[in-house]
Amino acid sequence: MKIGLPSGLLNEYYKSFWKHYFEYLGIEVVFSQETNKTILDEGVRRNVAEICAPIKIYTGHVVELMRQGVDYVYVPRFVSIEEREAFCPKFMALPNMIETMVPELKGKIVTHNIVAKSDDIATEENFLEVGRKFCKNDEQIREAISFARNKWIEFRGLCVEEKYNCDQANTAVIKNRLSKLKNYPVKIGVIGYVYNVYDSLISMNIIKKLNELGVGAVTFEMLDESQIKKQAHHLERQLFWSFSNKITASAYHFFEDKEISGVIHVTAFGCGPDSFLGKILELDTNKYDKPFMTIRVDEHTGENHLQTRIEAFVDMILQKQMECCV
Amino acid sequence: MINAYLGVDVGSVSTNIIAMSPEGELLSNKYMRTNGQPLVCVKEGIKLLKEEIPNINILGVGTTGSGRQLAGILLGADVIKNEITAHATATIHYYPDVSTIFEIGGQDSKIIFIKNKCVVDFAMNTVCAAGTGSFLDHQAERLKVPIEEFGELSLTADEAARIAGRCTVFAESDMIAKQQFGFSKAEIIKGLCEALVRNYINNLGRGHELKPPFVFQGGVAANIGIVKAFEKEVGQPVIVPKHHGVMGAIGISLLAKKEIEKSGKPTNFRGFELTDKEFSPRTFMCDGCANNCEVIEVEYDGKISARWGDKCGKWTNALTSATSKTNTKNNKDKELVGV
Repeated sequence: MKIGLPSGLLNEYYKSFWKHYFEYLGIEVVFSQETNKTILDEGVRRNVAEICAPIKIYTGHVVELMRQGVDYVYVPRFVSIEEREAFCPKFMALPNMIETMVPELKGKIVTHNIVAKSDDIATEENFLEVGRKFCKNDEQIREAISFARNKWIEFRGLCVEEKYNCDQANTAVIKNRLSKLKNYPVKIGVIGYVYNVYDSLISMNIIKKLNELGVGAVTFEMLDESQIKKQAHHLERQLFWSFSNKITASAYHFFEDKEISGVIHVTAFGCGPDSFLGKILELDTNKYDKPFMTIRVDEHTGENHLQTRIEAFVDMILQKQMECCV
Repeated sequence: MINAYLGVDVGSVSTNIIAMSPEGELLSNKYMRTNGQPLVCVKEGIKLLKEEIPNINILGVGTTGSGRQLAGILLGADVIKNEITAHATATIHYYPDVSTIFEIGGQDSKIIFIKNKCVVDFAMNTVCAAGTGSFLDHQAERLKVPIEEFGELSLTADEAARIAGRCTVFAESDMIAKQQFGFSKAEIIKGLCEALVRNYINNLGRGHELKPPFVFQGGVAANIGIVKAFEKEVGQPVIVPKHHGVMGAIGISLLAKKEIEKSGKPTNFRGFELTDKEFSPRTFMCDGCANNCEVIEVEYDGKISARWGDKCGKWTNALTSATSKTNTKNNKDKELVGV
């Protein structure tokens, strides 16, 4: 039996857990391939025009998995991972949206609600019931949850302790390949949701581009929960969305961190939560002596503009660093 | 022999080529319409330059603007840089104490903030035409006023008609309404200038403190109506540099000079005979995977000298490994591809 995991939305953050959980239950796990034009086009074709690019891309990945001939596609419903906070409505309605946009998938969607107290979602409440679909033995499901949770904890540990980014940490946990981290003298904070920053089509490999220009990228996953909580006071009240709060907090952390020379916010055109946090950061950046740039992308964005902006941003920072000028 | 550094700014609307003496004196200044043919335009400009100064000796070349990569390969550039850095370099050269640079070109506009001769922040508008030269071009056409007379005409009006500048579509309906309402052409044009500036400041200046001295450059700075509208908006005098239309090219020539002086190497410039050589870029669709990348391949003098556009690096790398064994000229091309 094969289950497909779409390589979109929060997959980059949780795939180390999901993959090991399903495999422990004896199911073969298949990921959709990296986002490409065909996947994007398929997603664009099936969605309403107004919806954000990440949802279009996710839909494209679901279709891609279906074509690969999987028996099931896993589409979880993220409800809350923090008290009094929620997810963007598109996450909360994701299985229903996918059902509507990919009607051929009827009966093949595996879904369940995810409600947790923190981003550690590996609880029995969340994963016991969904496991019973594939396994009759509750004890084995409990073992699967605990086994997979350890993998996810390992993933988080690599991010926080070793400063691996999501991509590198996943490669280490899933493919058992450790990355050799290069130490860049100049670092830039790149903030944004994992499905924007790590999607090669949306962000056009922004981290790689920065590295090629001789600059390192630091991301929100590298901060632990306490570092994030410490920054909460900057907002009069927390936003409704957990990952938006994490990203906002990481931006303030980077603003205050002397090692970080500037902050780039990668956002998808039309993102509701980002319209709040982007504006707040834009206004607050004046309090810190640090450059802040927003890169707003949608499915039509050309690579040249992005390249120009990133180059200019890096030029500016390097010049400042040298304390000398033109 | 007249020594000079060459600065080339290939934009979407205009292509500018300048020659600068090592002492910083502008020797030649060419402002041409790109007309969608950047290479022809650059070749033409280089030819004109050679005719103008027959005994010119090029010490270094820099290219900037949206067509910087292609132009850089054609010329054998020593430095290829984005237009923000180039513009700021030129402005700081002429006005070391500048704080805010307004730059409005044909299809994009930028604002650059400077502190202690360093760029500290910038913003760029690339998606919407409502704050750029194209917007003015469009409206001038609608009003049947030549764009060259646009600015002067606006100065004759005492009052400005209030026009929505956020979007060219709304601007048109607004303009028609104002015409029927009885506003004069001059008042409407003055209103358009103010609308453009308001839109520009709203879009790019948001959340920033605009500090003097202000410098306004780019093709649109030729329009006195816009200059006055800027002065009204910021309540301060706004400086327009003498060579406001070619500041990007001046900046990149200064950066080329810096690069050559730093490296101590001779220039990569291909020489003026390049205008007689066959230089042909072509694009093809790679069908290696679902990305269907558009790969650009450039042939110079019968040899493939550069390739880019592939996400995976298959074509770029194939060329790199093939040329790394040949002469240094090609090695330079390889580096350029990576820029």
